[in-house]
Amino acid sequence: MGIIEVRDLWYRYPGISEPALKGLNLEIEKGEFVLLTGPSGCGKTTFCRCLNGLIPHFYNGDLRGEVIINGLSIRENTINKLATHVGLIFQNPDNQIFALTVEKDVAFGLENLGIEKNEMLKHIDWALDRTGLKEMRQRATYELSGGQKQRLAIASILAMKPKIIVLDEPTSFLDPIGAEKIFKVLQALNKEDRITIILIEHRIDLAARYVNRVILFNDGKIIDDGPPEKVFSAEESRLAGVGIPKIIQLGKRLRRMGVNLENLPLDTLMFTEKLKEKLVNKRISLLAEPNTKVNRMIEDSGNSPIIKVCDISYSYPNGVEAIKNVSLNISKGEFVAIMGENGAGKTTLVKHFNGLLRPQIGKIFIDGIDSATMSVAALARKVGLVFQNPDDQLFSENVEEEIKFALKNFGFNKEIIEKRVNWALNLLGIERYRKSSPFILSGGERKRVALASVLAWDPDVLVLDEPTIGQDYAQKERLRHFLLQLRSQGKTTVIVTHDVEFVVDSKPRILLMSQGRIIADGPAELVMTDFEMLEKASVSPPEILKVFRSISELGFPRNVFDVDEAAEIISRSLKGGSS
Amino acid sequence: MTCILFVSAILFNEFSMLLIIFLSQIPIIITGRIIKEWLKTLKGGLLLATMIFVTNLFSLYFFRGQQLTSDMLEYSLALTFRFLIMITSFSIFFLTTSPDKLSLALEKARVPYEFNFAFITSIRFVPVIAEEAQSIMDAQKSRGLELEKGRFLSRIRNYIPILLPLIVNSIRRSLELAEAMESRAFGASKKRTNLYELEMNMLDYLVLGFTFLILIIIIYVRFFIEPFLPMFPSVRIL
Repeated sequence: MGIIEVRDLWYRYPGISEPALKGLNLEIEKGEFVLLTGPSGCGKTTFCRCLNGLIPHFYNGDLRGEVIINGLSIRENTINKLATHVGLIFQNPDNQIFALTVEKDVAFGLENLGIEKNEMLKHIDWALDRTGLKEMRQRATYELSGGQKQRLAIASILAMKPKIIVLDEPTSFLDPIGAEKIFKVLQALNKEDRITIILIEHRIDLAARYVNRVILFNDGKIIDDGPPEKVFSAEESRLAGVGIPKIIQLGKRLRRMGVNLENLPLDTLMFTEKLKEKLVNKRISLLAEPNTKVNRMIEDSGNSPIIKVCDISYSYPNGVEAIKNVSLNISKGEFVAIMGENGAGKTTLVKHFNGLLRPQIGKIFIDGIDSATMSVAALARKVGLVFQNPDDQLFSENVEEEIKFALKNFGFNKEIIEKRVNWALNLLGIERYRKSSPFILSGGERKRVALASVLAWDPDVLVLDEPTIGQDYAQKERLRHFLLQLRSQGKTTVIVTHDVEFVVDSKPRILLMSQGRIIADGPAELVMTDFEMLEKASVSPPEILKVFRSISELGFPRNVFDVDEAAEIISRSLKGGSS
Repeated sequence: MTCILFVSAILFNEFSMLLIIFLSQIPIIITGRIIKEWLKTLKGGLLLATMIFVTNLFSLYFFRGQQLTSDMLEYSLALTFRFLIMITSFSIFFLTTSPDKLSLALEKARVPYEFNFAFITSIRFVPVIAEEAQSIMDAQKSRGLELEKGRFLSRIRNYIPILLPLIVNSIRRSLELAEAMESRAFGASKKRTNLYELEMNMLDYLVLGFTFLILIIIIYVRFFIEPFLPMFPSVRIL
């Protein structure tokens, strides 16, 4: 009997006719580390609410079937009772922290349970130790970074000593490094403390190597279940539109080309080792014209740049030096990606482009004019900034009004506003939501409304701050194609992002930032292959590139990004016989 | 201690007495090391203090025969200082007491846990909401919203794009918080325990006793000594 048993589970939210969960049957054994994934809206979040009793007790609705957690039925037991067996950690780090200090927050659950003080201290000590927060014990909670807050959330749940921990997209708000730290903590809890972990994630490339089982959801049903290598190689995962790790894609491609590499491990390092064993002594076959797939738009560097940053420095009022001596030029029509660790100064830099922040030293010229002479509104007209969180800007009665907001602010006349609104709605595919309230739309749709409202006034430069956060693979692909479309129309685009795979597929110019400075600036092919620079900026190289860097010592080319290209090169060498 | 100060401010009408009370707060402020914050509080209260002074002076002037006497000035000053003492005592209290200790004291005083929880949680989220307000302002300014321009009424209307997302986000947040609270067994036990304990040590008892003594002295002076003095030495301005 597994620690979690799900029998014929059906669930409908109150007032909604379509069931969110349609006949789930599942058994999870003690000590498993499971990855639950699937496209947005597939029911994974709903399912994990069933695991600790929030469904049915908090959400009500119509529940059929049964879920047994460690022998307890979710129907017959209150959430409070289940809380000592299963803990649930949510996406937003802030919205699950209650106390003013780390120690008191970890104590929160224990206090609720009425546990005596000395016993509490033991639990707290242990939980802080397991999550690496021992030194932060007396810190104020608002001072913590996003990653530390999530670890605090884990510690607070851990203190209640649950046998099962469920996490609903815990790394959405974190950079890859923060995400890795969380996964490592979970791995330790799973291996050493034998806690069953159920992880819901979109970032499969980061998470897959830690888990031993993947359950794939789509449309309220489980469509596949098994070890990660098997699930991600199968057709179902491709059809469901989840982000299959590049290594697996490579393995699949090679298999289709007739190259048999049995049981490729998910871990890039081990994959590469195995590959090397096979490639040693094989003739290296280069493609006829290497790197012809470089699709770079011809940048018009002859004319004056649309954004010219001259040696600027900026410090925040609290004294933090965010940007030091930064200079760069962005030409019209360029596609630029700014990457770097959290706190490197990326967002600070782009906030200078539209005047939200003014440089304390140095100057910025937007389209030839000194930004110091222009107001934020005037600069915003030229440089449209789309922020991470669409909920920071939505406020209108309906989507149409939302898009009109900026147009009205900028003084467009009525006919033009009409035209622009129609154009923007169509461009983002949200025409049918014209009269809907923005607040009832889903997360992805709200992001599109935010993007539409900025594109509507057709700024010369479009800047997107972390556009891929919380998006599933299909949404990211749509965004990528959309950006390509804009590029082909000659629009200057700047994105600030952590998502290496997203960037590498579009091959922009890359700016690496670290500690307030730009440490690298060049085309993707060059910057991405400079592993030392990437490390300084805390950027993890793309998976395929990691493989080729390793096998380059056998004579293979270094700068291969593309799965197809990689498969070609490898398969030719393996088939071509020995040298 | 601060309660005594507060109460004494109300008890006395004479400017000179109030001035003494006001000045007596200063050593407390210095030992509490909250000088800068206190000055900020005073600055915030300056507008209101001036209003109190001016309105009192004017009403006395108009209703007592259109003459400016030193009595009137004194009286107005007295009321102004009463106000300053009150806000100072409040600010001393809140600046020197950590919210956790305060919440513990409330718990000891048998205040229902729900109120205590709401109190601490609101304080916990103040920095979060402040940051969110800043992000919202950034986002809306980037869409051409001008917060500094315009006439009074339109300026207020310009804050709707700031307030609405803030409110909507707060509502969404409370749903998420409720989920998290449930998941942490909120309300599981009627007898809720606490990580911290409030203990009274020798110094606490001494201060308590001292404060009580002062209270008795103040009441004595106010009701038994002062009314019998024709005119407590007051500051002659004019």
